[in-house]
Amino acid sequence: MEKTNITDPIDVLLVDDEDDFRQILSKRLTRRGIHVRQTDRGENALQMLEQESAEIVILDIKMPGMDGIECLRRIKKMPDMTEVIMLTGHADIQGGVEGIKSGAFDYLSKPVELEHLIRKIKQAHHKMQRIQAEKEDAAFKERITQQMVVAERLVALGTMASGVAHEINNPLAVIQDSAGWLQQILDKSEMQNMPRKGDFQKGLERIEKAVKRAGKITQQLLQAVKTQTTDTADPSSFVETDLHKLAQEAITLVEPEASLRGISISLTSQEPHPSAWTDPLQLLQVLLNLLSNSVQATDDGEQVFISLTATLEEAKIIVKDNGCGISRENLARIFEPFFTTKEADQGTGMGLYVSWGIITSLGGLIAVESEVSKGTTFTITLPVKK
Amino acid sequence: MFKTPSHILLVDDEKDFVEMLSLRLQENGEDVLAAYSGQECLETLEKKTIDVIILDVKMPGMDGIETLKKIKKLHPLVEVIMLTGHGTIQAAVEGMKLGAFDFLLKPADFKELTEKLNRARERRKEQVERIQKAERAMLLRQSKI
Repeated sequence: MEKTNITDPIDVLLVDDEDDFRQILSKRLTRRGIHVRQTDRGENALQMLEQESAEIVILDIKMPGMDGIECLRRIKKMPDMTEVIMLTGHADIQGGVEGIKSGAFDYLSKPVELEHLIRKIKQAHHKMQRIQAEKEDAAFKERITQQMVVAERLVALGTMASGVAHEINNPLAVIQDSAGWLQQILDKSEMQNMPRKGDFQKGLERIEKAVKRAGKITQQLLQAVKTQTTDTADPSSFVETDLHKLAQEAITLVEPEASLRGISISLTSQEPHPSAWTDPLQLLQVLLNLLSNSVQATDDGEQVFISLTATLEEAKIIVKDNGCGISRENLARIFEPFFTTKEADQGTGMGLYVSWGIITSLGGLIAVESEVSKGTTFTITLPVKK
Repeated sequence: MFKTPSHILLVDDEKDFVEMLSLRLQENGEDVLAAYSGQECLETLEKKTIDVIILDVKMPGMDGIETLKKIKKLHPLVEVIMLTGHGTIQAAVEGMKLGAFDFLLKPADFKELTEKLNRARERRKEQVERIQKAERAMLLRQSKI
């Protein structure tokens, strides 16, 4: 959403077919610090608004071609919050009323008194700003509520999953040691000529591999839950961290995988390089996660972008790709534990869940925007100070 | 190389786990005893000579930490390796502060377990040797008086 700055001149589009009247009014308004564009036809006005929106449209009702009322209706259908002031002929109250019914802010009858018009323009502008502020407020509240709902669900899921993980660890240990024991026996010299020894070996290897995988999942899960439940991360591991250096380190680690497929990773960073008071190892883990996800989502030979900015209060790390993107249904679930769209042995579905846990425990926020086949952007916001 | 079997006590409430790990250690030539609770562990220590204890942190009744405190009080020379789940590393750290030799995450890698077992055994052996030496020195001094 574009922001209107109070000190910016008000953008007005003046639409009237009477050339002399229009030119004079335009000059006068300009002299009073208003930014005026003008045209003599409704059709042109719509085109101009398509190209660049205006805050206020001053619109004559009686015009050849598309008349003012029709033009007003079309303007009101546009996504911008443009306010319209109608100009009516002398004593044409009918037209003015119809205009207001169709969404005009107000109407003025010709001949127009300049002071009167300027007052109306300012009122309309004020209304527009108020509506815009309300909309932004509502959007902000909506976003916060959504984030809270997601966070609550993730915590609940995490608690349950970690309980399961704990319980699974024990039988896992039994399976591992049973297979290990058989392996030990097979390795004995007296077993050297055992029939079908190779088959036994093969089976045991598979068991061992599967147990390792399951163990990795339970470990990641328990770690993620641990980072969340200890509310904030251990402050003793916090140091002043140069985010640029950290990003470079992450890139160095992901680059081998990326360059195999001709993908380059570009880093842009604000000067001086942003830094934050945080846990570098944990943050590095998140960056690795996001970068390698982005690389996997990106076509061969394309690029992945990471950019860093900071204010006095917070630092932003943005990881962006132009890859395959994430569908709307999936986007709502990507931070959930075990949620993955990769093949069973490719991903555990824990990466983003762990990342979310880490960033939350570091006192930050992680957000995602994505569009299918356009790409995905992850934004991490971190507090800068102790 | 022939190695003298060391006396290992495995303490965990999960019977299948204790059994399988015992079998593996025995297969490697160790002498393994099992206990399924902290209480049983302490009772066994009264009756048998034990070099190293592998002790689960999470047990019903007397938990690993409590058991460890009692072991260290009654049998300070016995080395203890703590077994923990990922969520109970905190307890492992506490255990090491209380005198445990080291800790392992469950499910533990057998190679890692063997290495830690060997190092614990070494420490125990050296400690016993130092004590014997000190005792001899003490006796020698006393005999001169």
